[in-house]
Amino acid sequence: MGTGNEHTIKSYDAELARLTAEIVRMGELAASQLEAAIDVVERRDERAAQRVVDNDDAIDVLEHAISHDVVRLLALRAPMARDLREVFAALRIAADIERIGDYAANVAKRAIPLSMTAPVAAARGLRHLSELAADAVRKVLDAYLTRDAQKAHEVWGEDVHLDEAYTGLFRELLTYMMEDPRSITACTHLLFMAKNIERIGDHATNIAENVWFAVTGEPLQTPRKKGDVTADPVMPHLGNR
Amino acid sequence: MTDLATATQSGSQPVAPAPAKIAVRNLQFHYRDFHAVRNVHMDIPERQVTAIIGPSGCGKSTLLRVFNRIYAIYPHLRAEGEVRLDGENILDPGYSLNRLRSKVGMVFQKPVPFPMTIFENIAYGIRHHESLSRADMDVRVEQALRAAALWDEVKDKLKHSALGLSGGQQQRLCIARGIALRPQVLLLDEPTSALDPIATGRIEQLIEELKRDYTIVIVTHNMQQAARVSDRTAFMYMGELIEFGDTEKIFTKPDKKQTEDYITGRFG
Repeated sequence: MGTGNEHTIKSYDAELARLTAEIVRMGELAASQLEAAIDVVERRDERAAQRVVDNDDAIDVLEHAISHDVVRLLALRAPMARDLREVFAALRIAADIERIGDYAANVAKRAIPLSMTAPVAAARGLRHLSELAADAVRKVLDAYLTRDAQKAHEVWGEDVHLDEAYTGLFRELLTYMMEDPRSITACTHLLFMAKNIERIGDHATNIAENVWFAVTGEPLQTPRKKGDVTADPVMPHLGNR
Repeated sequence: MTDLATATQSGSQPVAPAPAKIAVRNLQFHYRDFHAVRNVHMDIPERQVTAIIGPSGCGKSTLLRVFNRIYAIYPHLRAEGEVRLDGENILDPGYSLNRLRSKVGMVFQKPVPFPMTIFENIAYGIRHHESLSRADMDVRVEQALRAAALWDEVKDKLKHSALGLSGGQQQRLCIARGIALRPQVLLLDEPTSALDPIATGRIEQLIEELKRDYTIVIVTHNMQQAARVSDRTAFMYMGELIEFGDTEKIFTKPDKKQTEDYITGRFG
């Protein structure tokens, strides 16, 4: 644990360490799912896509295990102060990772109909987006494991790059659709996938906020810079054409 | 990148402190050569529950006992500094013990009922301070037993021996005995450590009701109890007051590492 010293009751430390290990394992699984999903999109492999969708169950099972452990710790250990914040944060982080897993599975699910359409060049932009998202997830998990509030704060601030990449891809896909209406089906699937990946970044920032809270006891509440301007009435460089 | 300093500002609003009923200033306490309480400063708010926690031997019970000068019966014990009750220093030899004890009541770890009837247990202390008519005495005894949430259980056996009551009932009788003198401050020294969880729950409920009228200071080894019943919590260690603040803050985000280590079970 990050606090440096141990509880008088050793099994309490073991239970808290187990909780951390489960969260990290769950997060690693979710990040791998995202990478696998992008892989099947690029390989246009329907069967592999279905396997990624099915693998999401493993993440859900871990979330149940974590919820169970949290309830047990609250009931039997009555954690206080930093321990209480750790347990509370673990429950919330598990919920965010579960959503990350769902989004990764959604990307894989859309890979199946996408593979039945003609290839679109913009699919390459999706890899860049997913790499940013997977990096954010891994980095925030590392911040959680080492109880590094500063590192969590970096992840939180870096989400703006993912938002900007998403806005760029959104614009690119709109352009393709305007140029060639036959690409609309494929581009719409890609647009949803991109949105799913952008949401994964948002959940990584939620995790960062919980790491910050667990370590410092303060909410991370400064307004965060948003890079997703796709919902703005006039998007830059696109106008209202 | 946002500024880290602004990100750490707390969102919670500080609660305005209640006026101090007891103001402790530079308090020192010695058992012969042993310096048991060192440089304690604290303001105990009126009509709130203040809990004092800390490991055995930290000076918490000693501090509580200074508040009604119970040490005065033993030689070689001395308190220095000031303990101001409503602005008057109770450590001043001119402050009479009788006056102090009528203002500050105390309940101990083990209930010690007098070997008399339930009624006489309450009436005994009152007679010591006031002379009441029989009818007035009946009213006072009933009021005290009602305030201590014991009336309904004993109203039909007031002439029975108090020694026949259960441990939890005996402790509530001791609280009734304290209340009967109409004190302003109630000191509770581990009041539930000898009681089962149900009797403990009744005493804790009683503490919640009594704080409407009394300033309560409770010493407890049970941290969950301090968290449940108190508004403010003081953590003492090796005779010093390490941290004193709102209970919610002490148990969620204490400022001092020693406090955190103690309440999370990392001590020693």
